[in-house]
This record gives sequence, C-alpha cells and structure tokens, in this order.
Amino acid sequence: MTYPSQLSELIEEFQDIVDKRERLEYLFEFASEVNELPRTDWTDETRVRGCQSEAHIRVHVEKGIVHFESAADAQLVQGLMGILTIAIHGQETGVVMELTPEFAMEMGILTTLSPSRSNGFRNMFDKIQQEVHNATG
Amino acid sequence: MVSLRDQFPILKRKVNGYPLVYLDNAATTQKPSVVIEAMNDYYTTSNANVHRAVHTLAGEATDGYESCRTALKQRFNAEYAILTSGTTEAINLVAHAWGRANLQKGDVIVLTEMEHHSDIVPWQMLAEERGVELRYVPVTKQFTLDMEAFTFALEGAKLACVVHTSNVLGVRNPLEDIIELCRKNGVRILIDAAQGVPHTHLDFADFGADFVAFSAHKMCGPTGIGALLVQPDAFREMHPFMGGGDMIEHVSIEGSTYQTNEHKFEAGTPRIAEAVGWKAALDWLNTIDIESEHERLLTIAKYVADELRQMGVEVYGRHEHQDSAVVSFTHPTINSEDIAHLLDARGFAVRTGHHCAQPLLQRLGLLGTVRASFYVYNTMDEAEQFIAEMKDIVEKFA
Repeated sequence: MTYPSQLSELIEEFQDIVDKRERLEYLFEFASEVNELPRTDWTDETRVRGCQSEAHIRVHVEKGIVHFESAADAQLVQGLMGILTIAIHGQETGVVMELTPEFAMEMGILTTLSPSRSNGFRNMFDKIQQEVHNATG
Repeated sequence: MVSLRDQFPILKRKVNGYPLVYLDNAATTQKPSVVIEAMNDYYTTSNANVHRAVHTLAGEATDGYESCRTALKQRFNAEYAILTSGTTEAINLVAHAWGRANLQKGDVIVLTEMEHHSDIVPWQMLAEERGVELRYVPVTKQFTLDMEAFTFALEGAKLACVVHTSNVLGVRNPLEDIIELCRKNGVRILIDAAQGVPHTHLDFADFGADFVAFSAHKMCGPTGIGALLVQPDAFREMHPFMGGGDMIEHVSIEGSTYQTNEHKFEAGTPRIAEAVGWKAALDWLNTIDIESEHERLLTIAKYVADELRQMGVEVYGRHEHQDSAVVSFTHPTINSEDIAHLLDARGFAVRTGHHCAQPLLQRLGLLGTVRASFYVYNTMDEAEQFIAEMKDIVEKFA
C-alpha cells in the first residue's frame, strides 16, 4: 500500500523503534496532534462503537476538503487519532477514501484489523470513510 | 517428571520479545500437551462421524465422543450431561428447550445484575417472545448479591438464573442458600458455572440446582464445547428445540419421534474432536488437587490486589474463601485500555473492557476494568513480575 508521504514517514519512524513499549510511548505523544472534539460535543452520533473506552469523532467536508475532529479517553486511541489527523485533516476527499487502515499494523501498534465489536480503530476508520462518503454523495 | 508448566507448550513462547505471562484465564485457559495430542491423535487415527456407521473408525469416534460425557458424569456426579458448544449454548438450550415448554405470559424469571450477558440476553429474548417478566437482583456495594431482594424476587417465580462466580469480581455467590431458597419456593434454578467449575469440585446430585452450565475451554479443554448438567425431573420437562440428525428415533413424512437421552438435544454432527480433547483435559484435571490449587491461586490474587491498592489502584472484589483468583481494577488516571496495551508490550496478557457484564459494570459506575485472572500454571513469581510492571506503568504514566 502506498500512503501519503507524511504517513509513510511516520510508519518508517515507528518501524525503527524495536521495543513495543517505546512505540506505544511514542504513539501517546501524537495524542496532542488531534483537533480536539470538546467533551461537551460528545454524543451518540460522534461515538465510535466498539472502543473499550470512550472515543468520539466528527467529520465534515467543505469544498471537497475533509475536516477531522476527535478525542478519546485512552492515550493509545487518541494517539492513533493524532496520526489520522496528520494523514487526513485538510486532505481532499479522494485521498481519504483511498486510505486503508493497515498502517496501524505496519507501524507495529495493532495486531489485528479484523472487523469486530472491540476493534475500535477499525470501526473509527470505517466511520470516517462512511461519513466522507455520505458528505460527498 | 515434567513440571506442570512444562506441560503447556504455549507458556514457552515470547510476546513482543518478553516471556508470556498469561493472566487472561477467566476468558480462556491454555491447553496442556495431552489435550493437544488427544485431538491430533483423533484426527490422525480415528476421525469419523458418530452414532451411525458400523465401521471401526465410527466406533472409535463414538467411543471418543461418549467418553467425554461419561467423564463429565463421573466428575460431577450427574445423571444427564448434554454436550453443547459452551456455556452460552447451554443456557440458550434451557431457554428454548425448558423455557418455551414451561413458561407462559406473566411468568417470572429471576436474574441478577451480576450475570454475564450469556445469562441475560437469552432470557430477554424469551421475555420478548413470551411476555415473561424478568426481575433483576441488585449487587451491593460489598460486591455481593442483595439476598433480601433475592428472597423477595422469588415470590411467584418459575425460574432463577444465577452466576456461580462472577467473571468480573471473582465473587462466589452463596449458592447453597440460593438453591435452598429456590427449592423451598418451587422455583427451578440454573447456575452459570463457567467461572466456578474450573476452580472447585461440584457434586451435581448434592448441589441441588436443576441446571448447571459450563465450558471446556475455561478448564484446560478445547474451545467450542461445553455442557449442561440437568436433574432428571427437569430433563423430563425439556422439549427438543433443534431438529435434525442424531436427535431422532424415527422419521416419516407423517412426523418424527425423538431419542430419549441427551442425544435428543444434540442435533447434527457434534463436536467430536473437541469432546475427545475435553475428556483428556478432564483426566488431566483429575490428577490435580483443585482445592489446594485454588487456595494457592487465591493467595496470589490477594497479593496482587493488596499491592495494586497500595499504588492507588481501585480493586473490585473481596478475594474471600471460595472466590476465584480474579483481580479487576481501574487506575484513577491511566485508562484501562492503555494499561492493557502497555502490559502486552512486556508480555503480560490481561483482559480489559466490560467483560460481557455491562449491567454489573453500570451498577459499579464503570465503563470497564483491567482484569488479571490466574489459573493452575500461574506462579507467585509471575504475580511479582506483574506488580513490578504495574508499578513502572503507574510511575511513568499516572
């Protein structure tokens, strides 16, 4: 899979970290990269189903450009949101729709992307693309 | 002599470069070599369908399958042992085969807030279908069932369904009192013993419950198989609900007649290799003094709970005599999911989330917990490593 250049660089950075604990600690740093969705805006509509902790996203498309806001209780989830923010926020809808979620495994963060009720990242990724799809008709 | 741990090949593997410390035993246990080899041998030498053909392999397969039932009846002193896919199917079997035949609109089923979803959802489905009333017994702040409320809820009830030991709290319910209350009130009683049976001996005939459900995989057996023990009078009240091969006596276009033994509830080709594997697991468990093992594991759980409390972690449970070796906890500032990922990075396998017991978590005011659960191959050394890792996580991330 070919990823946008910023994401490819991040994947390489993560792959260079041998120890998984260090990779997680590095991922936690990306939690601050999100455009934070205020807790007061968390609703059933923004909730990502299947996360073990609370995770919320809001996506809107303006003039073909994707705007992504997010926040989560877990640092790991919000760290992944931070990476997604770098990858999709301000990008054209086509770029977002072409993205696949495998990068989270390639980075050595997640061990599975199988759809399941507990795979919050997969559900979050699918929700983003569904909302972009809905916004673009 | 091979040590107990050496009999579990998976315990030798590394996870993320660190030795595996498997503490997710309330979800599923690991399998000793004898179980793996029994299933491998079955497929290598005896694979066939059961109960029908007269050839040698079919006879061996039938003997293998039925030997599991015999072992269950012996271990639990039960007259009827229906083989199911697990605890969930066993409870659903009661809901369909007993519930549909014996419950009408307005009848009452008593449940508790401590139940696993497997012992809630089948009854909600039945309630919706039949107009049956469900009464839930609350859990107290001491993590026990409100027995006064239980007594009150039994009035006019037809069935009570109670978890033996909570998969979240490790609390073992006062089953003897509960069963006695049910019998006094003429209420049939189902015990979800998925978390209880792996840790204790249970004499089903003495126990007095009408139905007991449990799974093989939580007691070193394979996934995909479990059992429902049934008392003879309750068995006679059950009607078959899943039709097909193996459960019939005779079929004609005018109608069918059914088997009269457990086969009546085991339609279709059953889980033969899994039954062979479970028999091997039961034989293996019979060599273990489960009561003294349980005491050892409870000592480990108490140590872990005390150490966690000392680092400001909230522990849910009491770890009293007969409770299971389960330690559920949350940290005030570190998210449970983060704790689980950080532990996994160092080879520790724990469970996080609502543990399929959302009503209980709601009662506790929680979205989820981290749960460390111990079984026969776990050691105090592993518990100490776990505590050292937790201290490190709390120091760095709190």
